[in-house]
Formats: sequence, structure tokens, C-alpha cells
Amino acid sequence: MRRLALLAAVAALVAVGTAEAAGRTPLTVYAASSLTNVFPQIDAQEHYSFAGSNTLAAQIEQGAPADVFASANMAIPLQLYAKGLVTKPVVFTRNALVLIVPASNPAAIHSVYDLRRPGIRLVVAAPTVPVGAYTLQVLQNMALTSVLSNVVSREADVRDVLAKVALGEADAGFVYSTDARTAQGRVRVIRIPAWAQPKVQYGVCVVKASAHRAQAQAWVARLLGRQAQAKLLAAGFLPRAKR
Amino acid sequence: MSRGVFAAALVVATLAALGFLVLPVVAIFTHVSPLTLASQLTNPVVDDALRVSAITSLEAQALVLLVGTPAAYLLARRRFRGRALLVALVELPLVLPPAVAGIGLLVAFGRFGLLGTGLPFTQLAVTVAVAFVSGPLYLRSAIAAFEAVDERLLDAARTLGAGPARRFLRVALPLAGGGLAAGEALALARGLGEFGATIMFAGSLQKVTQTLPLAIYAEFDVNFDVTLAISALLVLISAAILLSLKLASAWTLSLRRSGFRFAPSTST
Repeated sequence: MRRLALLAAVAALVAVGTAEAAGRTPLTVYAASSLTNVFPQIDAQEHYSFAGSNTLAAQIEQGAPADVFASANMAIPLQLYAKGLVTKPVVFTRNALVLIVPASNPAAIHSVYDLRRPGIRLVVAAPTVPVGAYTLQVLQNMALTSVLSNVVSREADVRDVLAKVALGEADAGFVYSTDARTAQGRVRVIRIPAWAQPKVQYGVCVVKASAHRAQAQAWVARLLGRQAQAKLLAAGFLPRAKR
Repeated sequence: MSRGVFAAALVVATLAALGFLVLPVVAIFTHVSPLTLASQLTNPVVDDALRVSAITSLEAQALVLLVGTPAAYLLARRRFRGRALLVALVELPLVLPPAVAGIGLLVAFGRFGLLGTGLPFTQLAVTVAVAFVSGPLYLRSAIAAFEAVDERLLDAARTLGAGPARRFLRVALPLAGGGLAAGEALALARGLGEFGATIMFAGSLQKVTQTLPLAIYAEFDVNFDVTLAISALLVLISAAILLSLKLASAWTLSLRRSGFRFAPSTST
């Protein structure tokens, strides 16, 4: 019993110590999985939870303790805003879709139109995931929805699509151009023409139930600031306002 | 500590454990009305997932029984160098995190894996994943069940002229039956709940590889009522498996007490 009390006391001291060292409590930032690499580069202090934006939104609706929510589209945070759960989302960056194939390119795919060949193992994200919805838009824009019959798996987020292609198990998959950059050498990128690109806007907002709203608001402001924006551009994201 | 305080502490701990363990299961059924739950069961997502789960479980458990039973018999009856190591290896997947199992299956049976098969994303991949994680559970019980069979009965069968196959089929198998059934029930339950290895190795596609647990995950942010309905369904199936397990063990126990058939020695 005494040892347990001692342990608890030590644990409490350590907890206080780390919080003091940071000078403040770290924020909990729920962010789209395509932001997995860049957000810790922008700010390594906070606690991040990366997943499909739709999954994160469902968790926030169930009362998850998020302070900030960064989604890979505007539709999902706007829905939460309409429900009164978050502040009005603002666009903080943009992105583009690409088709990726494994470096060895086992199915010899060289253009999006090659996906029409039967027997190709195409992996996409579920349509409820932002990148899954964008994928459908690309295929509609290119009149290629028939290739959906080659889909062998609908993944929970963009990183799962990336992993299955990088591993070589899937012949091709649609991801953001920024994801493809994180797997350089393992995947080959096939560009999607500009006319077929969907409007990929990332929205950020503060969760209203947050206990650190002012701090969260300041974090969002910093994300829109020059330094954070430069890091996003360096990671391959597009400027938040179209020029 | 006085006796009364200790007794009270035991009761409090028991109540706390009970409440903690039962509450989430009860919550699944009380979150929405039973009518809503039942109406979601006709949802095609549930229907397709149920079919995929049933087919793959059937295939996987057939595989587990057909290969696992003779393997367990050999491991239980023969004494040889390295047997303990072999048994431990067979049991290893049991304690592996499912995600590790998924990665292992990918690098073993994936396109660029050790064996280089085209298994991933097929329904057979689900079967393989389920067999991989549930098989050891059966093997473990089956080895113990065969070990508990009285050696003297097998010897007696041999002196009466029964060959090894006959001794296995007519003596060992019926005597170990209760233990085998219990092991298989546990394996079935574990296999039905398989998630991590399946989603990594087989992916998730409705009608093909999306099992009930995968459907829960996929529908979580789409239609929460559907996830609740599938969860409720899985609770009922699991409860049914557990109940049959309890009934079966009570039945074999009563068989032993009544001295029916060849009563196996109780000194296991």
C-alpha cells in the first residue's frame, strides 16, 4: 500500500514536472492522416491523433477530448459546425490527388486510363473518407467510374491506401501528392490532369467543448501564419488561397 | 483488518468488477431502442458482413479441425526432443498482437512475401487470417484433451487388436471430445472477432472481405446505429457460444461422474 502511494506521488511529480517544462498543457489536435508528417514538423509540442477526417469527426461527436480539428475537406468540419460542436472552419491549405503504383509497377500502369484493364488490384479509401470522395470525383471527371469494379479494398484512411501500394500488394491507389512524397522510392507517381482535379481544401476549427479554447484559437492562428504555411508548402501542400 | 471489513472489501471488489465488465455490454443494448437495432439488421451492410463472416469462419474452422486435431494428437501422445518448443511455437500466435499477425501474414503470403502468393484482398485471405489467430486456441485445448486421455485405455485397445488409426478414431477422439469441442468453441469465438490481421492482410470490401468486426469499423462514422446493431449481434453470438461451452462442459462432467463409456482418469 505504501509503495503504491509512493508510486502515485512520483507519477504526479513527474507529470507536474513535464507540464511545467513545456510551460503549458499540450493541445490535443485531431488531424487528417495526410497531415501525419507535416503537423509534428510545424509544432512538435502538441498531442496529435491522426486518422480519417470522418473517423475523427465521429469521435468528436461522441465527445472525444479534442481541442483542434483539422480535416482534409471542408464538408466534414462544416457539418460539425452546423451541429454547434466546432467553430466556423477556415481553409488552411490545399492539396492535389495523384495515382500511385508500386516502384516495381507489377501491373504496368502508366496512366489513369490503364486502370480500365480487368484484373488490376486498385485500392481506394472508403467514400466517407475525404480522399475516397475526391477519388470518386476524379473518376467521374474522367468518365472512368467503371474502374471501380477493379477495387479490391476500401481503406479507412489515405495512409492505409499508401501502405498497401508501397508494399506492392495493390497495383495502384489514389492518394494526395503529399502522401506520395513521403514514400519516395517505394511508389511511382502518375499525375492526374488539372482539369480532372477535385477542389481539395483542408479546414481547421476549434472544438467548442475544449477546455483550452483560447490556446486552441491561437494555435489555429499560428497554422495560418507565415512560418506554418511555409512548412506546409515545403511538404508539398498547395497555398491556401489560389493564386 | 477485521474479518467484517475484509468480507465487505471482497463484496465491493466483486461488485466493481461485475459492474465494470457488464456495463459496456448492457450499454450496447440500451443506447438505442431494440426496435432500431432490429431494423438495422436488414441493412445490406450487415447482411453482407454476416455472410462473409459465416463463410470464412466455416472454412477456417474446418481447416483448424481437420489439420489441428491430428496435429494435436501427435503433439500430445509422442514424447520427443524439442516437443515443448514445438508446442510453444504453435501457441505463439495466441499471444501475438493481431496487427503483428497481419504483418506476418503479409510478408509470408503477400505478393512479395516469402511464399509470394496473390492471397491478399481475396476472401481466402480472411479465412487464412481467421485460421491463423484462432487455430492455436483450438490446438492448445486439443493437446490438453488428448493428454488427459488415459494411456491404459489406448494400450488396452491395442492389445485387443486395434490399429493406430482405429485407436485414434474410436478411443482417443470420443474420450477427448469434450475438450476438443470446448477448444473449438473458443476458436470460433476468437475467429469471429478477428479484426487486426484481417484488415491488414485482406483489406476491407463489402461482400468480399468485410466481416462483421470490419463492418463495425467501416460504419462507425457512417451510421452509428448499424455499428450498434452489429455489435449487439456479435454479443448474442458470443453469448450463445459461451453458453453452449458451459452446457457442453457440464454435460461431459456428468458423463464422467456417471461412469458412462470409458471414464478417463481424473488425474490430469
